[in-house]
Formats: sequence, C-alpha cells, structure tokens
Amino acid sequence: MSKRKIVIDPITRIEGHLRIEVEVNEENIVTDAWASGQLFRGIEIILQGRDPRDAGLIAQRICGVCTNVHYRASISAVEDAYEITIPQNAEIVRNLVTLSLFVQDHIIHYYHLHSLDFVDITSALTADCSKAVKIAQQYHERPYRNSEGHLESVKEKLNSFVKAGRLGLFANGYWGHESYRLTPEENLVHMNHYLEALRIQHDISKAIAIFAGKTPHPQNLVVGGVTSVVDMLNPQRLNDFMFLIKETRDFLERAYIPDMKMMVKAYEESIKMGEGRGSGNFMCCGGYQFASKEQLFESGVLTGHKFDEIESFDPSKITEEASRSWYEHDLPRSPYDQKTVPFYTDLNEDGTLKSEGKYSWVKAPRYGGKVMEVGPVARMIVGVVKNSKVIKPYMDRFMKDTGMTLIDFSTTIGRNAARAVEAQICCDYLFDFMSDLIENIKYYDEETWTKYVFETLPSASKGAGIFEVPRGVLGHFVRIEDAKVANYQVVAPTTWNASPRDATGQLGAYEESLIGIKLADSERPLEVLRVIHSFDPCLACAVHVIDTKGRELSRYKISAS
Amino acid sequence: MRVVIVGGGISAVYLANTLLQKDPASEVLIVSDESHPPYDRIHLCALVEKSQCVESITLDLDPRVRLELNQAVLSIDVSSKRIISAHAAFSYDKLIIATGSQPKAPFDIQGIKNASTFRCEKECAKIEQGIIGKNVVIVGVGPIGLELLDTLMRSPYPQSITLLARKEHLYSSDLSREGIALLRGIFEQDPRIRIDFNDEIVSKKVCKDEIIEIQTRNRTIDNLFLIFGAGIDPHVSFARDVLECDKGILVDDTMRTSNPDIYCVGEAAQLHKNGFIAGRVKECTLQADVAVETLLGLERKTFEQTVSIDGLKVGSFLFADVRSPSYDLKDSDNETILITHKNRIDQYIISHDRLQRFIGINTNIDLIHLKKLMEKNETIDPAYFYSNRLNSGKGRLVCSCESVYEEELIEIIKLNAITSFVELKPYSNAGRVCGRCKQDISALIAATPVNHEEAARLREERENKLKEAELERVRARINKYNTIHPKNQLSAENLEEAIASFDMSREFNQWVSMITATMHLHPDFENVVNEGVKQLNKIPIIWLELSDCSGNSEGFIKSSHPKIDDLILKYISLDYHELLMAGSGEQSENVLDNIIKYDSGKYVLIVEGAVPLGLDGKFLRIGPKGETGHALLQRVAKDAAAVIAVGSCAYDGGVVAAAPNPTGAVGVSEALGRKDIINLPGCPVNPINIVGTLLHFMMFDEFPKLDAKNRPEWAYSFLVHDNCERRGHFDLGDFVLEWGDEGAKKGWCLFQMGCKGPYAQMNCPQVKFNEGTSWPVQAGHGCFACGAGKIAFDEYANNRPLPKESHE
Repeated sequence: MSKRKIVIDPITRIEGHLRIEVEVNEENIVTDAWASGQLFRGIEIILQGRDPRDAGLIAQRICGVCTNVHYRASISAVEDAYEITIPQNAEIVRNLVTLSLFVQDHIIHYYHLHSLDFVDITSALTADCSKAVKIAQQYHERPYRNSEGHLESVKEKLNSFVKAGRLGLFANGYWGHESYRLTPEENLVHMNHYLEALRIQHDISKAIAIFAGKTPHPQNLVVGGVTSVVDMLNPQRLNDFMFLIKETRDFLERAYIPDMKMMVKAYEESIKMGEGRGSGNFMCCGGYQFASKEQLFESGVLTGHKFDEIESFDPSKITEEASRSWYEHDLPRSPYDQKTVPFYTDLNEDGTLKSEGKYSWVKAPRYGGKVMEVGPVARMIVGVVKNSKVIKPYMDRFMKDTGMTLIDFSTTIGRNAARAVEAQICCDYLFDFMSDLIENIKYYDEETWTKYVFETLPSASKGAGIFEVPRGVLGHFVRIEDAKVANYQVVAPTTWNASPRDATGQLGAYEESLIGIKLADSERPLEVLRVIHSFDPCLACAVHVIDTKGRELSRYKISAS
Repeated sequence: MRVVIVGGGISAVYLANTLLQKDPASEVLIVSDESHPPYDRIHLCALVEKSQCVESITLDLDPRVRLELNQAVLSIDVSSKRIISAHAAFSYDKLIIATGSQPKAPFDIQGIKNASTFRCEKECAKIEQGIIGKNVVIVGVGPIGLELLDTLMRSPYPQSITLLARKEHLYSSDLSREGIALLRGIFEQDPRIRIDFNDEIVSKKVCKDEIIEIQTRNRTIDNLFLIFGAGIDPHVSFARDVLECDKGILVDDTMRTSNPDIYCVGEAAQLHKNGFIAGRVKECTLQADVAVETLLGLERKTFEQTVSIDGLKVGSFLFADVRSPSYDLKDSDNETILITHKNRIDQYIISHDRLQRFIGINTNIDLIHLKKLMEKNETIDPAYFYSNRLNSGKGRLVCSCESVYEEELIEIIKLNAITSFVELKPYSNAGRVCGRCKQDISALIAATPVNHEEAARLREERENKLKEAELERVRARINKYNTIHPKNQLSAENLEEAIASFDMSREFNQWVSMITATMHLHPDFENVVNEGVKQLNKIPIIWLELSDCSGNSEGFIKSSHPKIDDLILKYISLDYHELLMAGSGEQSENVLDNIIKYDSGKYVLIVEGAVPLGLDGKFLRIGPKGETGHALLQRVAKDAAAVIAVGSCAYDGGVVAAAPNPTGAVGVSEALGRKDIINLPGCPVNPINIVGTLLHFMMFDEFPKLDAKNRPEWAYSFLVHDNCERRGHFDLGDFVLEWGDEGAKKGWCLFQMGCKGPYAQMNCPQVKFNEGTSWPVQAGHGCFACGAGKIAFDEYANNRPLPKESHE
C-alpha cells in the first residue's frame, strides 16, 4: 500500500508559524501526522538577569493574541516567589480584563480564524434571504441582526465585493469543497455574523482598554497589584465597561450560541464519527474565585475519556522533554530546572520534516508522563464531571438543545461547542466580578496595591503563576537569584496541544487527533485545517527554551545530516 | 539629545528654535537668570518710556522648549555634564552658553537706589521710577547711551539730563566732527540737556543707599539719578574654571569651546583666531546657526564675519552704520569723505581704495548697495560717492536683515490691508530677524491708511488662487498614481459594481474627516482623500509575519477609523495575511506567488516582526519548502512598491533583539540593507498610523514626510510628555510616589514611577488606543517608550525613573 506525505505550511488563521505534515494512504485517510513549530525567539533568555519586577512587560510580548495572560502570569509568578498577596480589588480588576479577553478571543477564533473551514462564502451569495431569516429563527427566537433587509444588504456587500475584482483575504479559499455542509442560507447567516463579530471584538477591546490602558499589550499591572485606580474609582468607566459587556452578551446569546447549534446539527455525522478526537486526556488547573468562594473553573485531570475517574491536579507532575524537539537534553525535567540547549537538525533537503528525528521547536510537556489536551473542552468536561455549579447548568442546557453527550465534545466540532459555551459563561460571570468590585468600593476599600520594599525581599526564591487562559493551562515559572531572574520557563497551552512526540513515541494532541481523518481532496486538505483550528493554535506562545548558562544560541551547532 | 542653553536673550531663543526646527527629536532646555521669559533687549528703551511692556517684547519661543527662570548658573561640572545653580542642577548632553554680557560700572552700585546700569527689564523699571524730578546723569556715549538719551528727552519727568563724555566724540571715535556737532545740536535743542565733553566723575558723596552728590571735572550735581551706559564685558565668570577664556570664552570657528560638548555664541564668545566678539544680533544668529549645525553633526559650517549694517532709529534723527569686517580704526591709510547737506551727513571711510565704513545721519543712501560694495571688496572711485547716485529710490532701508525698504513696505501694507505687525507675517519677514526695526515697522503700519474692502477682495482672490493651485497639485498626484498603477483603474466592466461597493455612508465620511485631520491636511482635501480611498481597494497588500507575536495584526483588527470590516471589505485589498486569510499551505503560497508575479511593482508589503539572522536565518522557516523568514522577506520586498515595517520588532528587532539577542534578530531595514523602508514602531503600533500611512502613500505615490528614522512626521514628531494629559501635574510637581496612593487616585504625574513619556516620540496621547478609550498613562501605569525599539526593552520597560546620565 503506497503512502503519500502532504505538507501544509503555513497553517494560516492561527497565531504563529506552524507546519503540519500528514501521511495518507490510498484512500486519502491520514495514517500519521507531525506538528512542527517553525519559529524560535528565546524570550526567556532575554528575561534572564533582569529585575524580576520588569519580567512582566517583556514576558507579555510572548504573544500579542493571548496578550494579557502572559503579563499576568509573569507578574503573578514573581508575586508568588515573594509571597506577596495582592488586594482583592486588584485581583478583580485583573479578572475583569482576563475574562473579557476569553470572550474576545473565543469570538475571533470561531468567526475569523475558524469559520471559513465550514462556511462557504460563494454559496452564501446564492442564498434566499427570506428563507435565511426563518432558518436562523430555528436556533433562537430573536436572532442577531436577522431582518431580511439586513441580510440582503450583507449579501449585496459580499456580491459587490466579489464582482469588483480583488477577493483580498477570501482569495483562494476552499470554496466549493465537497466537505462543506451548510446550505446557502446557513452560510449567509454565518457570514452576517462574521461581519458583526468584527465589530463586537472591536467593542470588547474597548472594555478591556478601560482597565488595561490598551489592547493588545495592556499596561496596567505591577508586582503587587494594578495601576488603573482612577478608572476603577470612576463610576462612568465601570458603567461603560458593563454596557460594552452587555452588548457582547447579547451577541453571544443571539448569534454565537445559535450559530454553534446550527453547526452541530449540520455536522452531526462528523461528531458521531468522532472526527478530530484525541487521546481523551484532559487537564485543568481551575481558578477565578468569586467573593462567594465559588470558582469559575474547576481543576482536575482525567485520562482516556474515563469521565468517572478524575484525579486532582498537581503541578509538580508537570515535566518537559525534548527527545523529538530541536534541543539537546532529552530527559523529562521539571520546568524550574529545565536546562535545554537548542540543537537544530534542520529540515530535509526537499524542505520536509525529518520525521524520524527531531522536528519541532515546540517541546513535549507531559503530566505524569502522559500527553494532555488543554483548553475550553477540558474545562467544560472537567466542570461537568466535577458537578460545577457554574459550568454544569450551561453545559446541560446546550446538550439538551443539541442532543450532544459529553464524549461528543472531544471532537473537532465539539471543541468549538465547548468554546462557545465557555464564552457565554465568562461573559455572564463578568457581571458577578463587577458586583464584587462595586461592593468593595462601596465600603471604602480602594486598595489596589500591596506595599513591599523590594530591597528587603529575599534575594533568592522561586515562584509560579499558573492560570486557565483561553487556550488552556498556562504556567510561568521563575527562579530568582541575587534579586535577578536566574531562570524563567513558560509552559503554554499550545505547548501542550502542539507538542511533538516524546521518547516513548506518544503523539502530541494535534497529531493524535489527525489520525484517521479522511481527506476528500488531498490537494485541498481542508479536513486537516479543521482539526488543527479546533484547538485554536497559538504558536508564539508555544515555543520556549531556557539555557541557564546563558550561552549564545546563534553559536549552537547545527547537525550535519 | 538633551541640549541645555544658558542665557535668556535673543541668541538663546534663536538657538532653541533653530535646534528644534532642524531636529525635532532633541530636548531643549533654556536656563536663564532672569525672572521673565526671554525678551527682546533691543527694545529696552520702549520699556523705559512705557510704550511697551515686557510681555509685548517677549520673543516667540517654540512651545516644546523647557524654560527654567531665576536660575543663575554658578558653575559647570564637566565630568558629570551638569550645570549647577544655587537651587538646582541640570544635566546636558550638549551645552550652549549664550549668556551675553554684563554692563560695566566704574564703581559698585549694588544697593544704591539712584544709580543703575541699563541691561535688563528690572533696570528699566528702576530707571523709569527713579528719574522723576531728578537731574539725570548718563555716563557713556555709545549707541546704548545715545538711545537712552533720546528716550529720556522725550519724557517730561527728568529735571535735567547730563551726558558725560570722557573724550570728545559721540557714538564712536570715528564719527566726523560734523556728525558730532549735528547730533549734539539735535539733542541740545532741549534746554534740559547738556552734553559735557572731556568730563567724568571724580568723586561722589554716598549716604546710606543714595548718592547725594557727584563731583565731575567741570561741575557738581545733586538730586541726581545716575545711569551707566558705558560698556559691557562678556558674562562668563561661571565658566572660567573649566573653559579656556580670555575676555570671553574662547571658541573655534564652529563656536566650540575647549570642551567638545560645550559651545558658546554671541557676546560671551571670543573667537580664538582673531579675538572677535560679536556685538550685533545678525552676528549672534550667524554664530548660532554654525553652533547648531555642528552640534547636530549636519553640514559643517564655520563662522565668518560679514559686513554689518546698524541702524539707530531714534526719535529725532536717522542713523546708519555699515561696516566691513576688514575695517581697522587705527589703519593709517583711512581716509574720510564727507558729504553734508542741511541736516544730512554721509561719511565714507576708505582705505586702500576700498570702502571700509559708512556712517550716515538722515541719509537716503541705499545701504544694501554699500554693503555689496564692501562684500565685493573691489577698488572704488571716490568720485562715485559725490555724484550721490546711491539713492535707492525705494526710501530708506527699514529692515537691514531682510533688505526691505520703506516704499516696498508701504506697498505691501496697502495691497494686503495690513493693520498690525502680526498681519504682516505672511507677506514679509521684515522686523522678525533681529527685531530691531519691529517698532519702526509697527509705526509705519499705523501711519499707512488702508482700504479694507479692496484689500479683502484682493485677499480672497489670492486665497482662491492658492487653493486652486493646491487642489490642482493633488489632482496631478492622483493622476500620476493612476498612471503608475494602471491595473487599479476602474474599467467600464466593473465600474458600476465597484462604485456600488463603496457605500458612501455617514461613517465613511466621518473617517475620511478623521484621517484628513490626523494627517494634518487642509479640510479641502477631504474630497481628494475620498477619491484616494476608492483607489485603495485595488492595491494588493501583503502582510508578512516574521519573528513576531501577532500583536500588530491583533491591533490592526481593532482599527476604529474605519472599522475593520469596512476596512478589509471596502477600502483595502488585504490579499495575503496569515492570521486572517482563508487559504493555507499551497493555497496561500499560490496567492503570494501570484501577487509577486502579476502585481510586481504595485503591491505594498507590510512586515510585522523581527528578522532572525542567527543560525543562517533558520530560527524561522515559512512555507512548504522551508524558506527562511529572511529569504522570504527578501523575495517579497524586491518587487514591492513600498515596504512598511510595523511595530517595534520590524523597526529594529524590538523585544526579540533585546539583550542578549538570542536569535541575532534585526529590523526590516537592516535585514534588507535598504534605507527606504517606512517605519511605524510601537508595541504594537496604533492602527490609525498604519491606515494613515497607507492612505498617504497610495494617494500621492510618495511617502509622507519622514523623519531621520524614516517615521512619518505626522505621527512621530510629538513627544508623549508634551501632549500628556498629566503634564499639568508634572509642571506643578504633583507626582504619584507609590502605586495606588492619593496622587494615583487623582491622576497625578507618573514620572517618579518611571514613566518614560519624556523620552518617547509617539502620538499616543492624541489618538489613544481602542477607539480613544485609554492609553498607558491614563491607565495609571505610565509610558515605557515602546516605540523606541529594542532600547525600550533594555532600558525603559520598568517602573523606575532613568538614572540621570543614562538617556540620550
């Protein structure tokens, strides 16, 4: 049986530089897969030797998409090292920003980065608008901007765009691909919301900027608290924030969730076939506590889709290894001690990956030796399994409306469904965090910073900032010596999901999920993109290395073969 | 660069303004020992007679200049590059001394209430108050003494005025006897005035703080007020310890002192080669030009003395003095030709058949012509002067700096219905160079009647013509653009659809206005911008992400004017952008290859991220063939119509190139070895700066005006600190001292918390982020000059003020 290799590089509509190679058999079924991060920057090396208080502004630049979370995790890791507890208000302001980012990120991901894998614009142009209005009404009684006139104008806009010549971003898409399932009317409804979502993500960014100064790359955190005290004490600013979030909630309820239900229905067969299903190992660290002691996300780890066997999350079980990554040290180590030296073995001469050897800048993090999938789907499943008062009601409702079961979420479409439900939860609970804040201020608690005298803090220490962030579990680990950063390590969500193989041959989450996918047209491997996009890859976050000896990387040897 | 100027006079202001004009990035501080902002010392007489107040003779100073008043500099610490006053210390990168001179007094008059020198605004007040009912004694017959005498004789208050002349001349020792007699006669028409030759003070009686009586060789004077207008000395005492000095501070012909970081200009400076000390405004400004050019490392000029023209416009006569730099008072060959007619005297001094000097009283000789004669330095025929053919026919020379004559000025005034000095500015620079003739010109304007209706008509006609010409120029640019980009012309086939796709909604008009304003274009350009926008849709744009974090792309989709959906669907054709485009792998590569092939020379390349050069560029590989980021950039940039580097990483490597620069990252310009890359640094760049720049380039097929770092001036020529909403608190000294303290709650200045706004050139305070919602200073954190590139991440990205000496 002859096998062929297909190289997809660049994977577009993601953050960063990712390559996927798959091997297909004669029936165009994927039999093997490799995921490779193709950019190395070495932000941790840059962090070495700096004042720990300054790490946040640099670490933030790890990613401009998950922009706030690295800033926060870095600052928190330093606070953890110095045992600084920040004031409640500061924690809440941080949460308001982070959770708004969840919502913004999920919306952009679904509509702008992912939906074109399912939505065929050319088909939308042939839609019957009055029929489309009725179809949208099957999923919500008052769908978002769903008048016939409005849909006509959307169609008109797209039509004139197409006829006027240049297709811009939509040029050379997979239009007409036989695995597209939506009807012209359903495509039009989605395109309508694609455009609306551009505006909504813009508006949420305004909400974020109220407390964060700007986004991407906010500037409102310092070790010990937050700086945007003027905004926090200004009722008009709080009101503006709530107003923008309300608008967003409206969009989630009347567009994002109904569209997702439509998608689940159209791709029912794909779900039931388990397309895109991975190992079934899920990991969550939980977090985001309310004044009422409830927390937004539960923590826990489960393996092999065994939903009745959940163990508690223990960060000390996290290791990283690099037997198939472009680094020297192959043995698993804890992130605090990670001591990896780049060892670039290049590509084959035809530009393909050396799939038998080292092949990615992403390392292989493991939990108790096992590969893990992280992200909204892990959080939603763990939330349901642990009977979360926050998560379970939302999931139950969605499952009831769509007929999905818990295992169905461990698929390409399921990951998206979990993400949509999570966006709604985050958005709704922003109101709870806001009322906690207002309560505090009402009783004259205006604290935003915990005082400390840097010179009197221990000169050697270590700490971690571990958070649930939009794409999964993020950990920043810092070791401080002589009051400077001695070692810095980041294990990001995409490091988990985009992991390459390890020494035991375990495939990474992307790789595992691709096995068994059937391609309708190997020249246009749309099905592969669907699987990969469903994880919401963010490669800038994923690639990390530290060399505690501070050697220059440019001098590292390159393997001859 | 931080340039500190010591001194509070014309030279200081001229230096500061010229510096900022030549290099908007420099930071300029003036340290003056006076309590008023710099004013025009030439008009001190007007203060005495109260025809002006000090505010009205204040000099125009660029608002970006910082001013420290009441700071008399005591010493210079050259090792730590600071100057020290009684209250403060100021650090500098370059120091310019322009302290001018101090008046001489034959004995100490400190604390004496009825004696004064005549050099500053405070002394004017003292004189004006002190002379009432007194016998005024003026010591000194030079231009200062004479001008003061002229001023005081017009005042009813002095009982008498005595001018003491040690020898037997007025103005200067080479003024002819006839000239002296004429001047003396004019002054002594006033019975209160007496000019005493060969006289000086021999003794005085002082009681407490008052001189009761003085004894001169010829007489005794009591009930007196004494004014010294005798002479001046360079004011350089504070610098004598550290700089080579003679009478003044010694400088080379680039005005540099014995310390390479310190310059000196004006009356405080003495040329090493010939001992020359400037005395006229024109010379001071020439020296200032030389100093500024040298200091900024621009074209290397040296200071040369030039022919000088002095006009003494006093109430009762006109006085003119033209002098060649080669004139030597003691030259035995000097020969005087004197032509007198009624109360007019023309005095020529000739040596070796060359005209060396001209002194005229009530003359109508064309002074500019004489100046040219001196400059040419050719032999002349003295008979020429007798024929009196030198009358300009344009009246007297009013402004010698700009060579403007009285008749010319009157014509300008009439034609443009000018009724004040301010209105004159667009038409003539007369009175604005050294300022000496400003009052004279104001008087001329007041005396010239104008016809407003006629002038208004003329003005409108001219404005229309100008506007027409401007619009014509823009139309020509757009036509040029259409010729260059023929593929983007609308054709008959797609015309209707294309026009229909531009929904000319209210919002569209709004953002056209917004962009027009942000780019500092005249509102009349809106139509043109509008047209330009229609063309944009047809220009292919390739957006490459290299060693980046997608922050600039993420920022770009937060664009507000216009909103991103309109932007990508209607206004630009974003053909290749990995974050947003539909196709992947082979599909996206095909898009790229097709643009490069079919739109060669037409597409615009936007690059985000640094270019890693380490490991042969293999720290970044893109595409099915594993091309390095560097190779891809070179391939795509080669045929691009323009390359725009967005964000700080693309500018100079940014955070990716921060120490120790693990991947050998550089900016786009360096990676390509090209100097024509437009840089839009920022972390991330504000999307409005991308949209504005694209629009400008596409409308006019040329870059917007760029600064030395290739950044558009319309976005990067502002200091964050200058436009900061918290600037008022900085000026008042209201600082946040701890996060979350009372100052923080009140929105005070964040400088002490490490805000780097004073070092950041960005338009953040004006445009803010996320549709004007906020910016880092508003969020209470402060700025870290993220647009400065990698230096920001090595030195500015922290919450501590910079150590004093470390910044540029």
